[in-house]
Amino acid sequence: METDRPDGRTPNQLRPLACSCSILHRAHGSASWAQGETKVLAAVYGPKAGTKKNENPEKASIEVIWKPKTGQIGKLEKEYEMILKRTLESICIRTIYPNTTTSVIVQVVHDDGALLPCAINAACTALVDAGIPLKHLAVAICCSVTDSGCIILDPTKEEEEKMKAYINLVFPNTIVSVLPERSSQVGSEPMAHGIMTSVTQGAMSVDDYLHCLDRGRAASARLSEFVRKNIGPKSTWLGRMGFLCR
Amino acid sequence: METKSTSSFTNLVDQSVCPGDVVLDLSKMINQTIKLGGGLRQDCDAISVMKAGRLRFSKPHKYWVENSQKRYVPYAEDSVLGIVVDSRSDNFLVDIKGPTLAFLPVLAFEGGTRRNIPRFEIGTLIYVRVIKANPGMNPELSCTDASGKAAEFGALKDGYMFECTTGQSRMLLSSPTCPVLDALGKKLSFEIAVGLNGRVWVDAASPHTTIVVANAIMNSETLSGAQQRIMVEKLLQRIQ
Repeated sequence: METDRPDGRTPNQLRPLACSCSILHRAHGSASWAQGETKVLAAVYGPKAGTKKNENPEKASIEVIWKPKTGQIGKLEKEYEMILKRTLESICIRTIYPNTTTSVIVQVVHDDGALLPCAINAACTALVDAGIPLKHLAVAICCSVTDSGCIILDPTKEEEEKMKAYINLVFPNTIVSVLPERSSQVGSEPMAHGIMTSVTQGAMSVDDYLHCLDRGRAASARLSEFVRKNIGPKSTWLGRMGFLCR
Repeated sequence: METKSTSSFTNLVDQSVCPGDVVLDLSKMINQTIKLGGGLRQDCDAISVMKAGRLRFSKPHKYWVENSQKRYVPYAEDSVLGIVVDSRSDNFLVDIKGPTLAFLPVLAFEGGTRRNIPRFEIGTLIYVRVIKANPGMNPELSCTDASGKAAEFGALKDGYMFECTTGQSRMLLSSPTCPVLDALGKKLSFEIAVGLNGRVWVDAASPHTTIVVANAIMNSETLSGAQQRIMVEKLLQRIQ
């Protein structure tokens, strides 16, 4: 039975994606990521000298600061900061700049559901823009389960409030490789099928969880292509000339 | 084997790559020595990418990823523009936009002795050479070239310094001459110093010329060669 979504999307359809890099002048790397109405702006500063207390002096530290749209930082924002920090630590090569700290500031511009995956995508894109050495990229996606057992991708806030459960998943991006296909796999699966982060809300059965994984992997392949296209250098000649001729 | 190796070489060279991409397979390269530049790392028999950019190759067997970023990674023998932030008894502390401050020994000048230590106020802009850049240590700078002569190094007085990305500074320093500098040089007289850390210093007889040159360079980052010449011509028409 098909679920009727308020914005007319099919269950497997993502909202329109938009991504811009190098938009902040003072930050060493910056990116804005929008999925539908949800929009997050991420800035990266560093690596800078010095570490915080109790940090490892043999590795680079990553500090994540979450800025909500309104109000003060609460427990939910602290949890988001911790999840983001762990995810970014797992993709960065931290031994290259020992005894330094890299700050990632995440500013929520608008929240219309699937906020944490949007923030993770923005932060990863900002790290690439800043030139931080990375093992691979990460792509994040949100799947949700309705009361009737249907699985839909990328829910809006309105849909999130009606869902029985939803799950935020982070996968490595798909890579281009000159190795034979079998060599770049871990066991019998490609590396892009590994799970880096999984955060669930609500209760769901094991079968629903596995179905969410399958949908998430399929969506992460599309997200990987989108990220790869946007990371490359782009020309804004027309915009520049418009500015000059004003 | 030969054909497969050839196809491997030409597969990803001069293409955009992302972190995680595997660009070389060492198990297929028998009795070959390759040199890895910035942006690449070795993971067992695979060479993978650490930074997004364009994969480059130069004979024989040098690979690197050409990327553009605001933060500078110090390498030995780079020429950079630094700002003096402090002076100690043995060293000047210089900001070169790297992860840590760099040391400029007080004796690292042409004819430098204990009796004639140069005086640099905090905030002085100097053109220096990186002589040591080891991980985990502060970089060490020098104001002389390898033979001990001052050459083009030293303090830069007056003028205007602005910042760009490391990719743009490499473009400005490339040979043949960058199109924007070539077009500007035909019409205007100015002096310029480009550091590989993304700092550019411009000086001219009048502030008007300095501002025109600085604006032209700042606007040329995302333009191709022909577009740069067109932009400079339009800019010069407006000011005449």
